Amino acid sequence: MEGETLFEFDFFELTRATVTTVVGLTAVLASLGVILCSSPIYCALYLIGHMICLALLFLLYNAEFIAAVQIIVYAGAVMILFLFIIALLGGKKEIQEPSTERSISIIFVATMLGELFLSATVGPTKPVEGEFDIQTVAEVGGSAKAIGLELFSRHLVSFELASALLLVATVGIICLSKFSYIPVRRRMK
Amino acid sequence: MGHQFVLLISATIFCVGAVGFLIRKNPLVMFMSVELMLNSVNFLLIGYSSFQNSMDGQIFALMIMTVAAAEVVVGLAIILTIFRTRHDMDVDHINTLKG
Repeated sequence: MEGETLFEFDFFELTRATVTTVVGLTAVLASLGVILCSSPIYCALYLIGHMICLALLFLLYNAEFIAAVQIIVYAGAVMILFLFIIALLGGKKEIQEPSTERSISIIFVATMLGELFLSATVGPTKPVEGEFDIQTVAEVGGSAKAIGLELFSRHLVSFELASALLLVATVGIICLSKFSYIPVRRRMK
Repeated sequence: MGHQFVLLISATIFCVGAVGFLIRKNPLVMFMSVELMLNSVNFLLIGYSSFQNSMDGQIFALMIMTVAAAEVVVGLAIILTIFRTRHDMDVDHINTLKG
């Protein structure tokens, strides 16, 4: 009986690991699609796929609220904005030809990737034990409530500053998009 | 899955985004590459907040999403204004601040 439960537990962990790996690799492939497609509309569609993969990864790492926010804010609002702009400007295909600057930038980023991989292989760092393990989050009443408790107690100032930032961005885009740069006299003719 | 997986996936996505930002010439696709980089950092924060039983990483991710949304909105408005004055979508050709 005990061995059976152990087997069940292992099976669950194995499934979870497989799903996590597959979704992670899909996210990487979708991000490659974003930068390799010539047409911006395909880039946007690949980016939507990438966002959804990342939301699944967030779910797998016990962040349900952030996954929902990711779907709503990114895959919903931001990507719709991108698609509107592409539809407005006309997604012209970009001719991609190899050049010296390109190879230099690719070499630079490849070096950076190597450094990041090296730094990923260091041994375990000093663990910090927070107070919100899975049981505590379940007792509190879910991921959203736990985030709310933290956000409105310890991070209240940053929350208010973020709201001020959004307000400034709203006013800024109204100023940017309302006034044309053509002088008024020429516009009246 | 362990720390290594999260680190490797997010480092790869970050570098893909950096390459995209450097080699593409369409400003929209460059913005999408910036989104890729921001998202990879989000994934790293959420993975580590799950490993360390803390909510701080998730709150940081929420803040990054707010900043990214504001940045995208302002950036797209600027791109639209540039496109309205000069019908050209190549960042290499935009070299004067005053249209």
